[in-house]
Amino acid sequence: MKDETAVLHVQARAPFELYYEGLASSVSATNKVGRFDILPGHADFFSIINPGAVVIETDGEEINIPISNGIVTVKEDQVLLFLNI
Amino acid sequence: MRRANVIEKDTEQIQTVEDLTGVFESLATTQIAKVKGKVEMSKMFFNLLWGKYSAIRVDQNSRITHREQDQTQRDVYVVISAETGLSGDIDERLIEAVLKDFDAKTTDIIVLGSHGAQQLTQRGIHFVKFFKVPESDSYIDVGPVINAIKPYKQAKVYYEEYVSIGVQGIKSIDLVQSIKTLSEEADLNQDIITEQDTIFEPSLDEIADIMETAMMTLVFSQVILESGLAQDASRFNAMAVAKKRALDLVNRYTLEYHRAKRSESDRRMREIMVSIKRKHKVGNNV
Repeated sequence: MKDETAVLHVQARAPFELYYEGLASSVSATNKVGRFDILPGHADFFSIINPGAVVIETDGEEINIPISNGIVTVKEDQVLLFLNI
Repeated sequence: MRRANVIEKDTEQIQTVEDLTGVFESLATTQIAKVKGKVEMSKMFFNLLWGKYSAIRVDQNSRITHREQDQTQRDVYVVISAETGLSGDIDERLIEAVLKDFDAKTTDIIVLGSHGAQQLTQRGIHFVKFFKVPESDSYIDVGPVINAIKPYKQAKVYYEEYVSIGVQGIKSIDLVQSIKTLSEEADLNQDIITEQDTIFEPSLDEIADIMETAMMTLVFSQVILESGLAQDASRFNAMAVAKKRALDLVNRYTLEYHRAKRSESDRRMREIMVSIKRKHKVGNNV
């Protein structure tokens, strides 16, 4: 059963900019394999992100970040996005 | 002595120069504060990235120092100068420092910034590539510069170092060594990430490659930012000196103006007195 209280702790950064830091319900982006979504409880994950956009769903808001490339890491609901590197 | 109205006109012109240098001075201060914030943010980004890179336990020494098979046996000096002038003598000092170490038989020069390129050309020094300095206010794309450096055995970067608003030095670093130095400040208390417990897409090796290039890019971007910071500080100092000179000149001219004014009124007074005396003489004679 899905835990309704579970959330992701997300940091989305570029070298000279902090796009978002806080809680989120999901993070979506595209990698070599295809489109992927990270939800609370996701397996530990390390991936290169393709150019396009990263979408962070927060409480009632959708943050859309256009990117040239990036790396995403997920470990125990902590999501780190290194963007435009 | 010059006439008072001529001095007054000169004073007005110098006051305009003083106002302008004041504006440049304040622009440089704002820019310094902005760039300092960016440098701090990029350090935080590097630490986080390095933490993850260390966690995937790739042999850092063998990978970061790894060079392509077809690399040249030559070294390269990367010179980061200003894109425009008006930054005092800092670019001249930079070029002098480069030329002190430079040996054309073993080393090539890549130059960033039109002012540095101009300085090298004036001295008859050949450089293999020229790049415009990426804008420090927007995204810094140093990819083309990194690609140009990659084939060389060793890359030494010469840039202008910001010590304080009053002091700027010339610094040189080995790009690979500086990554290692920065990484020493990073938090290494990370858990090990292995293919047994983590999904890597597309593969661990490809991710490590991207991370290494990103870190090298980041170090280079930081150097460009710091160089810009030093140039802004140097510009600030040049403007502060110009403003002080203009102010001194205004004070001198004001004094000169008052003297000229007094001298003119004294002369007029003398002329009036002489004419009154003459009139008295003429009157007495009649």
